[in-house]
Amino acid sequence: MAKHDTPLLDELENGPWPSFVTDMKRQAETHPECWDILGQLELSFKDRITHWKHGGIVGVFGYGGGIVGRYSDKPEKFPGVEHFHTVRIAQPSGLYYSTKNLRALMDLWDKYGSGMTNMHGSTGDMILLGTRTENLEPLFWDLTHDLEQDLGGSGSNLRTPSCCLGESRCEWSCYDAQDVCYHLTMHYQDEIHRPAFPYKFKFKFSGCPNDCVASIARSDFALIGTWKDDIQMDQAAVKEYIAGNYPANGGAHAGRDWGPFDIKKEVLDLCPTNCMWMEGDELKIDNSECTRCMHCINVMPRALKPGKEKGATVCIGAKAPILDGAQFATMVIPFIEVSKDNEYENLIDVIEQVWDWWMEVGKNRERVGETMQRIGLPTFLKVMEVDAMPQHVKEPRSNPYVFWKEEEVEGGWERDVEEFRKKHAA
Amino acid sequence: MAMSVEEVEAAIIEKATKSPKPQLYIKDFYKCDADRKPREIKKIANALVTKGELMFWSSGSTTMYARPDRIQNEEG
Ligand code: HEM
Ligand code: HEM
Ligand code: SF4
Ligand code: SF4
Repeated sequence: MAKHDTPLLDELENGPWPSFVTDMKRQAETHPECWDILGQLELSFKDRITHWKHGGIVGVFGYGGGIVGRYSDKPEKFPGVEHFHTVRIAQPSGLYYSTKNLRALMDLWDKYGSGMTNMHGSTGDMILLGTRTENLEPLFWDLTHDLEQDLGGSGSNLRTPSCCLGESRCEWSCYDAQDVCYHLTMHYQDEIHRPAFPYKFKFKFSGCPNDCVASIARSDFALIGTWKDDIQMDQAAVKEYIAGNYPANGGAHAGRDWGPFDIKKEVLDLCPTNCMWMEGDELKIDNSECTRCMHCINVMPRALKPGKEKGATVCIGAKAPILDGAQFATMVIPFIEVSKDNEYENLIDVIEQVWDWWMEVGKNRERVGETMQRIGLPTFLKVMEVDAMPQHVKEPRSNPYVFWKEEEVEGGWERDVEEFRKKHAA
Repeated sequence: MAMSVEEVEAAIIEKATKSPKPQLYIKDFYKCDADRKPREIKKIANALVTKGELMFWSSGSTTMYARPDRIQNEEG
């Protein structure tokens, strides 16, 4: 039985698409508080203002993150959403859920919350939506003791690190993304569970430039697998593709007839740096010009593979459009070794170099990408002790001046004005 | 003279008690001991939360610090 009239929301059930309104009405049969979400949202549509209050002081003992407080500003009208806190759960790396684990999580959430979830939405985390303050400690107890799972990060914490499935299934992975993700999650437990920074900070790990976790768009620190040497080629397999004996893209996009495979049209002409050509029936690549975009490898996976000298590229400073527009991460370190043998010590050094600078120089509520933009890349590179290189340059310089630093000028900035004026009267 | 942890703690508590607004950013505490790295100040502030001298206050996406007696609980 409808608890509130929702004529505006009901419009959203009319189109051909699945509707969250329908979903919530169904959910309300077992979790009546879901009616109050719909009621409050209907009111928001009418009033053209949100009736959610963000913020406050909810959490579990010892943690300063993982729970995001939400309250209704109309609790008398919508008692079901008087409290509607959000709980972040640390996901298994590479998102390897077992069905047993998923069922246990859903049972837990049916017991303590609204039953509504946001499984890896744009923030990336597994999010349980909607519970009351008094349910938090019992939920946390069951989560940690029965499911052996932890809360994720929120607020000014290191957010739950995430990775692609990496070497566990993907032949393209240039480093063990899951292991790095797990290792750094354990190494930075304090930063994940308690606020550590002026604002949020996110790590994401992709095994290759296909960047399946969109780290370059969504993380302050993106580690993207790459290789130094040449793309590995099997010319016999190239011929099989040309002959149409191997399906392009591993058979993806096969739902439509695209005509016979055309290596020029589908591979050579689409190489962003134009560094591929055919000599007779031999495929050639000028690897010094290859930007490791993965396109040719994606199209002909049986013929081409990433090189053998593997590592990763560090990109820093992506963010969502919260303040002044979305931005991609900036490539800072083109190649870094990623090795279990040193427990990723070199990565940890880079990460902490960024943190030390950003914590000092960054403003409150400023993401590291915004600090970099405000202060400028040349200064940031100096902080990171990275020499500038062509790949750091986004566009030709628009400023004709050369700025010297004092130590680059013989005699420095200090000179005797009196002495100078003897020769050049004012 | 380098400040002891106890002296830094006292400075942080004083700052959180006397600030115009009850909620402070972690950066507001850096000056309590300019010789320490921000990450050390963060550790000391978080330890004060464990001791009950400070509490976390969250805006949803940013976490701030406050003296518990200066904050009206949302549910209060
Ligand atoms: C059991 C149900 C579903 C399964 C197993 C499923 C699975 C998937 C998978 C595997 C992808 C590809 C992700 C990728 O390659 O990046 C995908 C993408 C997508 N799905 Fe679903 N899906 C389901 C239901 C839905 C529903 C109900 C909707 C819409 C209401 C939807 C909308 C989309 C969209 C828009 C994308 C593209 C996202 C993007 O390109 O970033 N899916 N889904
Ligand atoms: C008019 C309604 C709403 C607006 C304008 C709004 C706006 C926002 C904005 C700007 C963010 C920050 C995004 C980011 O940090 O990347 C955010 C985060 C979030 N919102 Fe909302 N929101 C609304 C309603 C809701 C509702 C109804 C819920 C859940 C019931 C919700 C749950 C969340 C969660 C879980 C986050 C992530 C919090 C975090 O980053 O720590 N929001 N919202
Ligand atoms: S990012 Fe690369 S290595 Fe990771 S799953 Fe995607 S294609 Fe594979
Ligand atoms: S990976 Fe991209 S840039 Fe490199 S050769 Fe292939 S298509 Fe060209």
